[in-house]
Amino acid sequence: MPTDKSDLLQGTLDMLILKIVALGPVHGYGISLRIRQISKEVLQVQQGSLYPALHRLEKRGWLTAEWGESENGRQAKFYKLSPKGRKQLQAEESNWERLAQAVSLIMQTAQ
Amino acid sequence: MSWRNFLGFKRGSAKKPARDAQLDSELRFHIDALTDENIAAGMSPPEARRQAQLEFGGREQIKEELRDVYRVQIFDAAKTNLKAAFRFLRKSPSFSIAVILTLALGIGANSAVFSAIDAILLKPLPFPEGDQLVKLGQLRRNAKSPQTFVAPVRLEDWNRMNTTFQAMTGYYTEPESETTGELPEKVTRALVSPRFLQVWGVAPAIGRDFTDQEEHVGGPDVVIISDRYWRNRFGADPQILSRKIRMGTDSHSIVGVMPASFHFPERDVDLWSPIPVDAKIAQIRDATWYMVVGRMKPGVTVDQARANLATVQAQLAQQFPKSDADLDVLIEPLKETTVGGVRQSLLILFGSVSLLLLIACTNIVSLLLARATQRQHEIAVRYSLGASRGAIVAQLLTEAFVLALAGAALGLLVAWGAADIFRALAANLPRIEEIHLDARVVLYALACSIVVALLCGLFPALRGTKRGLSGSLAQSSRTQVSGRNRLQWLLVGVQVALAVTLLAGAGLLLRSFEALGRVSPGFEFAHVLTLHISAGWGETANINGLSQRIDRILDTLRATPGVENTATTMTLPGVPGQFTTDIRILEGEQDPNHKLVAESRFVSHAYFDTMRIPTLAGEGCRENYDAIQVMVNRSFADTYLQGQMGIGKHIEMIGNSFLKSGEIKGVVADARELGMNRAPAPTVYWCWNAPSPDPNYLVRTVGDQPMTMAQTLRQKIHEIEPGRSVFDISPLSDHLDDAFAENRMRTVLLAFFAATAISLACVGLYGTLSYSLTLRRREVGLRLALGAARSEILKRVLLEGAGVAALGCIAGCLLALAFARTLAGMLFGVTPYDPITLATVVALVLIVAFIASLIPAVRAAHVEPMQVLREE
Repeated sequence: MPTDKSDLLQGTLDMLILKIVALGPVHGYGISLRIRQISKEVLQVQQGSLYPALHRLEKRGWLTAEWGESENGRQAKFYKLSPKGRKQLQAEESNWERLAQAVSLIMQTAQ
Repeated sequence: MSWRNFLGFKRGSAKKPARDAQLDSELRFHIDALTDENIAAGMSPPEARRQAQLEFGGREQIKEELRDVYRVQIFDAAKTNLKAAFRFLRKSPSFSIAVILTLALGIGANSAVFSAIDAILLKPLPFPEGDQLVKLGQLRRNAKSPQTFVAPVRLEDWNRMNTTFQAMTGYYTEPESETTGELPEKVTRALVSPRFLQVWGVAPAIGRDFTDQEEHVGGPDVVIISDRYWRNRFGADPQILSRKIRMGTDSHSIVGVMPASFHFPERDVDLWSPIPVDAKIAQIRDATWYMVVGRMKPGVTVDQARANLATVQAQLAQQFPKSDADLDVLIEPLKETTVGGVRQSLLILFGSVSLLLLIACTNIVSLLLARATQRQHEIAVRYSLGASRGAIVAQLLTEAFVLALAGAALGLLVAWGAADIFRALAANLPRIEEIHLDARVVLYALACSIVVALLCGLFPALRGTKRGLSGSLAQSSRTQVSGRNRLQWLLVGVQVALAVTLLAGAGLLLRSFEALGRVSPGFEFAHVLTLHISAGWGETANINGLSQRIDRILDTLRATPGVENTATTMTLPGVPGQFTTDIRILEGEQDPNHKLVAESRFVSHAYFDTMRIPTLAGEGCRENYDAIQVMVNRSFADTYLQGQMGIGKHIEMIGNSFLKSGEIKGVVADARELGMNRAPAPTVYWCWNAPSPDPNYLVRTVGDQPMTMAQTLRQKIHEIEPGRSVFDISPLSDHLDDAFAENRMRTVLLAFFAATAISLACVGLYGTLSYSLTLRRREVGLRLALGAARSEILKRVLLEGAGVAALGCIAGCLLALAFARTLAGMLFGVTPYDPITLATVVALVLIVAFIASLIPAVRAAHVEPMQVLREE
């Protein structure tokens, strides 16, 4: 078990999901796979948090969902980013950048 | 949140199996994909699946959580919100109690007044098709006299010749002596024309209506009695229909008992007798006796009836030019006649309670705002946990709604007692017996609570959930800026303004009251008793005999030890009651365009001595029906006789065929006969002691307590008039008090509202100031630590409170001046823009504001700087 796995705050999870879905329509398994891949196995999402988050984002109108056929022929639910979701993603991204900058500034001066 | 999900609690439950199935498929897909992954990594299929399922976690758990996401639908959300609201309110009991009590008072008073308005103004009269009932009258064109009674024969003509009415009927009431028992008892008797019960649409509870035979001359003497009379006098005897009563010399059979709820035309009518429609005296076209009520045909409007009756009267005018040519028909919906007079007072009352509720609401908004600020941490946490703004606002609104509902429930208790309060304060209100708590009032209270919840809860909820505030999670109270409280200060200012307006109104009314008390009436009413002796209108057939009888009574009473003087008068002096008539002076040039108008009063010759009104010129007058004598007052002499005393001239009352012209015998001083708040008008006193069979008798007693003579007077009168009952013995001062009962009620109520308003404003000021200082304790502590004097802090806080109060006072004064006109008609001796009242009110409010600011100010000045700075 990797020891440097990080815990994700729920707000951050929403943002990550939105970013992944922005790259193209994807089902729940695909999202968890991509998060693992792109973060080089650092981040792993608990399925217990992933699906509630997905359904919540869908209810909020930031994602839209459709049932379709997956690569192996089975029926899966695909999520897409809605225009509202796109705007929300932009807002969250700028927030995150600001926060990250502030934290890193402090870490630098503390040294 | 999509619409479908918002409303979807019903759809949700129908879709549950479908959605469950979908959730299942979605999760199964993921597990299958994980299984495939594991197989590709080299596990055996069953092992792969087991690992996948382990890694995935509890499927049921996830499904449950997913279901939770959808279960936040309106029904469940409401239940959760309610539970949370109750929990929250229980945690802060003093806050909840304060709000609930305030709302109980506000909503309760509002519902109480609404119940009165509903019963009196809104509901139709308690008769079948009550809106089709109208009051009719006849008016002599161009005459100033307000008399509108109708002659019986004309009533029959109207009833026969119209096309828009089902039926019309006439009635009048008079006191009567019932002599069945040992002593004569007074009863109120209503004499009615045919079709009486038909017009009202009510049948007797026991027995029957009058028959045709009984309504004609020569028929049997019968009466219908009221429910109250049946119970009090006959003990609710079931054999009532076989009994008789004696009135005067006649014996009457009882043929019916009316239901308990029927008390028209007057509340204390004991029995109804028919007047024979063909009686000789009822055929005189000038004999105006009746008050007339008519029932229009279904679907007929008042305007149609008015036009129809105008045509009918025109036909009568052609047929009987001498008596009918200049008569107009008056018609007014009966409900309007009954309640129209109190409409303005009731509406003003309603406006006042609504204003009070508004003030209470601003107080509560302030409190809720403070609460919302305190809960910012809680709200911010909920945001970060993913709640939507709508959900939090809904929760806060639910809390407000629960408070409002509790306040309304308590307030309904207040409204329940309202009927009793109204009865105590204003027993003369029409239809007061119909006021009670029914479904409409409860619905109104509910509506009030919803409006209050929205009004009070929405703004604080929206303000408290502004997303930018979530930054406060990281922020401590270190940087509280007092500018955030600007809104609450505005609310306090509004309350102060409203309080000032109400206080100004109450102050004006109180000053009017006081001015009325200081007015010199022009006559002396202390030590004077008034009484009535029963008599019947039939006695007017022998007018001289009637006059002699009354004279005899007056002389006998005057000779009684303890009695100084006696007199009769048609209308009591000082009690508002007008009898404006057109007058013509027979001598000198007649100017037909210049009608003389004067009040006419009918008094016996000793009236002026009895009431101590000085005679200024000439001698007194004497009763003489064939050569009437009159006295005039100084206003009349100055206005119409050009300063000459005019003694010896003759005056005629236009439009009255019963009285011949009278000779002016003297001039008396002015007296405020029309009421203390009216200046004396030119008045003609007709020297006639018998204007009606039962005028007001005035008895001036020697001693201090006039009522102690009551029994003696009763016995004396019984000696000379054994068949008559004496009733309504009371001091004249009681009547003068009663005349202003409505005025007094208004003043008391407005004063009560003003007092409540100022206390609400006081509490509001105290609360806001306390809260603001709590937030700024660090600031205060810093100042003290940096060397500020405690007295300086005290001064600053007091000035803060005074500043807001002053601004509120200015706004309030402007409001009061704007609304001054509505009070103008009820004032006496003060203008609505009276500066002294306003100045006093402002001073009072500033003092109260000072007191309200004192405690928080003292507390702030005693802050321990080290303790506060150390806290965090």
